[in-house]
Amino acid sequence: MTTATKTQPMTKPLAASNFVALFRRREYGVLALLLITLFSVGAVNPAFLAAGNLRDILVAATPAIIVGCGLTFVVLMGEIDISMGASMGVLATVMGQLTSPAHAHLPVAEGIALTLALGSLIGLTNGLLVAYGRMPSIIVTLGMMTILQGVNVILMNGHWITDMPPGLRWFGLGRVIGIPVSLWIAALVVIASIILARDTPLGRRIYASGSNPSAAALTGLPVRSLKLFVFTLTGLLTAVATVVSVPLLSVIEPGVGSGFELLAVTCVVVGGTSISGGKGTIAGTLLAALLLSVVRPTLVFLKLGPSASYWERAIQGAFILAAVLLDHVARSHRRKADA
Amino acid sequence: MTIPFLHITGLTKTYGGVHALSGVDLDIMPGGIHALMGENGAGKSTFIKCLAGVVKPDQGEIRIDGSSIVTGDIRASEAAGIVAMHQESTAFAHLDAVDNIFVGRELKRTLGFLDRAGMERETRELMDRLGETFDIKRPLQELSLAQRQMVGMARALSHKSRLLIMDEPTASLSARETEALFRVMRQLQSEGVAILYISHRLEEVFELADRVTVLRDGRHIKTCDIGDVDREGLIRLMVGRDMLVEDRPGREASDTPVVLDVDGLTLAGVFRDISFQVRAGEIVGLSGLVGAGRSELANAIFGIDRADSGTVTVDGKTLPPGSVQRAIDRGVALVPEDRQHQGLVLPLPVSSNLLLSVLGSPKLGPLRSARKEGGIVDELIRDLAVKTASASVPANTLSGGNQQKLAIGKWLAMGPRILILDEPTRGVDVGAKAEVYRVIRRLAAEGMATLIISSDLPEVLALSDRILVMRQGEIAGELSHGEATEEKILALALPLEVAAI
Repeated sequence: MTTATKTQPMTKPLAASNFVALFRRREYGVLALLLITLFSVGAVNPAFLAAGNLRDILVAATPAIIVGCGLTFVVLMGEIDISMGASMGVLATVMGQLTSPAHAHLPVAEGIALTLALGSLIGLTNGLLVAYGRMPSIIVTLGMMTILQGVNVILMNGHWITDMPPGLRWFGLGRVIGIPVSLWIAALVVIASIILARDTPLGRRIYASGSNPSAAALTGLPVRSLKLFVFTLTGLLTAVATVVSVPLLSVIEPGVGSGFELLAVTCVVVGGTSISGGKGTIAGTLLAALLLSVVRPTLVFLKLGPSASYWERAIQGAFILAAVLLDHVARSHRRKADA
Repeated sequence: MTIPFLHITGLTKTYGGVHALSGVDLDIMPGGIHALMGENGAGKSTFIKCLAGVVKPDQGEIRIDGSSIVTGDIRASEAAGIVAMHQESTAFAHLDAVDNIFVGRELKRTLGFLDRAGMERETRELMDRLGETFDIKRPLQELSLAQRQMVGMARALSHKSRLLIMDEPTASLSARETEALFRVMRQLQSEGVAILYISHRLEEVFELADRVTVLRDGRHIKTCDIGDVDREGLIRLMVGRDMLVEDRPGREASDTPVVLDVDGLTLAGVFRDISFQVRAGEIVGLSGLVGAGRSELANAIFGIDRADSGTVTVDGKTLPPGSVQRAIDRGVALVPEDRQHQGLVLPLPVSSNLLLSVLGSPKLGPLRSARKEGGIVDELIRDLAVKTASASVPANTLSGGNQQKLAIGKWLAMGPRILILDEPTRGVDVGAKAEVYRVIRRLAAEGMATLIISSDLPEVLALSDRILVMRQGEIAGELSHGEATEEKILALALPLEVAAI
């Protein structure tokens, strides 16, 4: 008996195989776009590629990277979460009020621990309502978003927090071996997420459940527990993102986190994760987060005029539509090839 | 004589008062290929779902080597060595063969990380055993159907399975792929694995199986060695039941004008070169197995799907392909199989449902009028004898049979020329069936051209003036009311011997 060899010719999979292959590697497309942007702006204005500027771009991208990792798993399951922005607002206020000398003045470690716990609790609530309440996740998290926006106004009660203790601000401003704390934490989250996705049973079960939910049920996979997990993880990572990004600010005000949910969703979708679930990578989300956070400095460095940076949102939005359109085209090609 | 290792006793499952299975007993021998046969709706799928732990039976016991296994638990069934390849695709299209085989019970290294190398090695071994050589790291969506089936097979084998359940595994395979599958099945058989095999293809059953069990209406009818039964005998066992409905004399409606004329209708891969006519006042039955292309044909006539070629003509005028609106304008009405989701708007009141087809039509005028609407609704409820507390209660409070009357009545408001009914009595109890039949017959007597798609053979026989039988996307034959019998219909509907290459 001969052993199986991978070089054996096989049936030609699809007529449009090259086209499909291109989108199976969306990461490469995003990476190419990112590099092209970096080097062409660098050619026009070399200051753009200075170490300090690149570090600033990375730091600006950390909240989207961290939350994007959690959200990638949610979208892989075929669900969505849009409560992260409002959640970040509440978490920032709570973290500030717990630690600031003018309020509860708890030790920073305790304040952070409670913030992480609260973030997880918010995610857990979303997960329970989606998995066991069997409600559509877009509705559940829209409701959660609205509630949290209201709660934030009540908590803040018109008083901005201007006295974050130095221990807390270290998470935004501090450095370890010359590298900002937030980058270390983001790197840790990314690596852990990649391992979770690729090298653990949990990760593979998430992919499987998103790929074919009815097959997952027939296989005996615990689909509801998996949903609970991905939402809770996203809640926790929203708190982590809050801890590393909010201390960069000098004040905590009611606008913290507003619009952030859309940025995170954009990163996941542009990064190649299929909105119908089952397909996507953490690397794609990471690269998309970097690409999106390069948009604003690009507009500034190209000196297109004082109102140039107003185009940031429009460009980010165009990325979403382009990504979803590509998915759709790739899918309909596959359907035709299948028929 | 081998001794059975698996005993199933008294398996019973009801869905909403309907017995899908009642008290089925079965013994399975090691290393045997056991065919499970029956008409659509005989309970085969429910039976294997109970065995595989997907569905929990209401009563009954499954014992392996004398010890009873927990029912309704997929993991328990798998642990006992009962593994099913379901008809619905259980494949994870985005994942590769390795993930597909091991997801849910992955091999692990220290700290719970995946033992990817170990899983790949075992996958290669399984593929060797099956004689497959494709790349196990390709996502399944890039593999052929036969290769995906082999992945499903490998998954089943990886459980050290003792009973492999295969639900119509050859339905979408080519002749060559089918041969390859049979070779693997025989090999497994020689290794002592028992196979419970569901197929409508009689030739396959006679070629492969050593024993056969026939189910009918959820009951165990007969189990015997394959040598003790012939093709005709098997068909008789699958069919043999009493007529539920009074027969009606078939009419030769050759004098009335042709209402629906379908000519050479083709949709690639679904149905080919379909031609037939339906005359005013005629009821034409469209019979065939599930998957023969009947519902798809109805969808194409109604314009939901666009046929590749061929024409649909109503009252002498050709319909533009792929336009539901134009089909409705010409008087074509389709009552879909899934009336709850596609035929009715369940939360809306009875009256709103009955008015769906005439909303905005000249009949009602531009503004709503309680008087006009009420007149139409009251008339329909009276004509169809819909049993409802009032016209204003939601449609979902009605029984299945009365919901079906609503789904038909919805179209009657607009005065259709041709009524297409897809499985008009599925899920309807016996009493209500007779009432639905009365409605269909009365409409025909009033001149309606009717096309009925039904898997219920006695129903087709009792209602139709003529019966068209579809097989694998083609019209296999036509039977007049006088000559049609269940045996003749089934003989036409069952797939032919796979063509030699």
